[in-house]
This record gives sequence, C-alpha cells and structure tokens, in this order.
Amino acid sequence: MLEPFFQWMNDLAVSKAIGESIWIYPLVQAIHLLFLALFAGALLIVDLRLMGFGMREQPVARIARDARPWLIVGFLGLVVTGMPQLMQNAMREYFSDFFWLKMYFIPIALIFTFTIRQKVSLADESRFTPLVGKLVGVTSILLWIGGVAIPARLIGLFT
Amino acid sequence: MDIFKPLHDLFFYVSELENSIALRESQYVWSLFEVAHVVCMCFFAGLIVMMDLRLLGVGNMHTPFSQLQKRLFPWQMAAMACSAMTGSVLVFGDPMRFYANIFFWLKMLMMVIAGVNAMAFHYIAYFSVDAWDSARVPPFGAKLAGALGVALWGFVIIAGRLIPYNWFQ
Repeated sequence: MLEPFFQWMNDLAVSKAIGESIWIYPLVQAIHLLFLALFAGALLIVDLRLMGFGMREQPVARIARDARPWLIVGFLGLVVTGMPQLMQNAMREYFSDFFWLKMYFIPIALIFTFTIRQKVSLADESRFTPLVGKLVGVTSILLWIGGVAIPARLIGLFT
Repeated sequence: MDIFKPLHDLFFYVSELENSIALRESQYVWSLFEVAHVVCMCFFAGLIVMMDLRLLGVGNMHTPFSQLQKRLFPWQMAAMACSAMTGSVLVFGDPMRFYANIFFWLKMLMMVIAGVNAMAFHYIAYFSVDAWDSARVPPFGAKLAGALGVALWGFVIIAGRLIPYNWFQ
C-alpha cells in the first residue's frame, strides 16, 4: 500500500543528492549514533533507577524530570537524522522486515514512555510498589533497545 | 625498516587463524557481535554522557555529582568491558580490514585520549568534589573534563561509524 510513497521518496532529487555525495550519508549515520547515545543515556538513567539500581539516593521523579528534556532532544535528533537515511534508501527500507519491525515498535515504545512510564516515574513513590517500577524499567529497555535499536542495526546487516 | 611491520605481521597472523576466517565468513555470528557492540555503546556512551552533562552543569543538576559518579561507575565499567570484548571479537574476525583503516586507528587514539581525560579528571578536579558536589555551576576543571568527555567519546562514535567507509585506503 505504501510502496508508491516509498518509491516517490526514493526518486526525490534530494534523496538522489544524498546518495551521490560520498560523505553526507556516512556523517548523517554517525550523528544518528550520537543522538542514540544521548537518548539511551537519558532513558537508561531512569530505567535503571526504576529497577532499583543507579542513583538510589534520589527519588525516581527527580531523576526522571532532569532526564526528560534530554530524552526528548535525543529522540528528535534521531528522527531528524533518520529521515535522510530513510529517503536515500527508501526502497531498501520498504522491503526490509527489520525496518518495519522498528517502525511498529517506535509508536508502541513512545506511547508506553509518555503514558505508563511517565506516570510511574513522576509519581510519588509511595503510590506504586517497587515491583511496578521494576516492570516498567524492564519493559522500557526491552521496547527501546530490543524493539527499536536492535532491529535498526539489523536493517543494514541483512538486506 | 618499517616500524609498523610487527603490528602488521600480528594482524596478518590473526587473520589467517581458522577461527578468524570462520568469524568473518559466518552468516550470523559476525552480525550478532555488531549488534551487541551497539547495545553496549548505548549503555556505555549513554551513561558517560549523562555524567558529562552533569559536569558541564546542564543536565541531571538535581543529583549531586558524587552520587552520579558512584552509582553509574559500575554500569559504565561493565558496559566498557562488554564494548571492548565485542569490539575485540570484531577486530579478531577481520584484522586486515581494520589494520588498513584510518578511522579504526583514529578511534583507538581517541579512546586513549578519552581515558587520559577521565584519569586526569579523577585525580585533579574530582579531588575537590566536596566543595562543588551540589553547586549549580561546577568549577572550570569539571566543565573542561565534561566538555572533553563529550567531544572525545563523540569522536570515538563517529570514527567507529565511519570504519566501513574506507575513503583513505
């Protein structure tokens, strides 16, 4: 159904220009990884704390509030640097199962992060048992690392 | 005489080992280590950058620095060990490709400098941490270490990502 859209992206002049430059695409990939590190850090510092590790002297809510802007900046940076890669490789991505796996997990992970995870991490700790925190932390890591990051790396390895 | 000959010979020797050949010709094992290396990077670089943002005075400011340092350090070290192991396996599996690659050596060099930066910070600015642990504006030495940390590990990541592009063979 989306094939014409991907074909259109693939044929855009700007997509072709990215493909013809030897350094734009590699640099965009590299910057994508920089934002990945920022995003992963802001994610893990909270998830580890939810699981009972990391900065245990601090309430979860304090760590989560500090990490939030970096999580959002990291995510936006990943989207902005992900788009040129998608455009330049549109047809390869369209036929990649790992690409679609990643695309399905991004909205799931986003919804989880900004509903359940946000509610639990910003709430007063007495409202949830530690088990809830542990489950939320583990789920968050599995969704973002297992559902998004790992399939993302696999796109380029198996095409 | 070429001073790099012993290094070249070592890399070449490894490349001829049966296990090295098996690794680079494997269908899935090579990719498994590529994936694991990126996951390790998420933990290592992610938690390092969280600490550096705190040193720069721009992130995680409601946690005293010494707590971040104490609580994240074991995770950073474990992630570094995993990164080093998965990375070493990849080099073991295709030594000649890395030997001839400028980005690989740049990455190694940046890692050494980043290590020196971390040690220098630990023995100089961190020595007086009690005085600025919760300060809104960390001292110059701490900010410098944070900025260098972000820049150097950033270069490590960029150089690592550029290894497949062998522009300067």
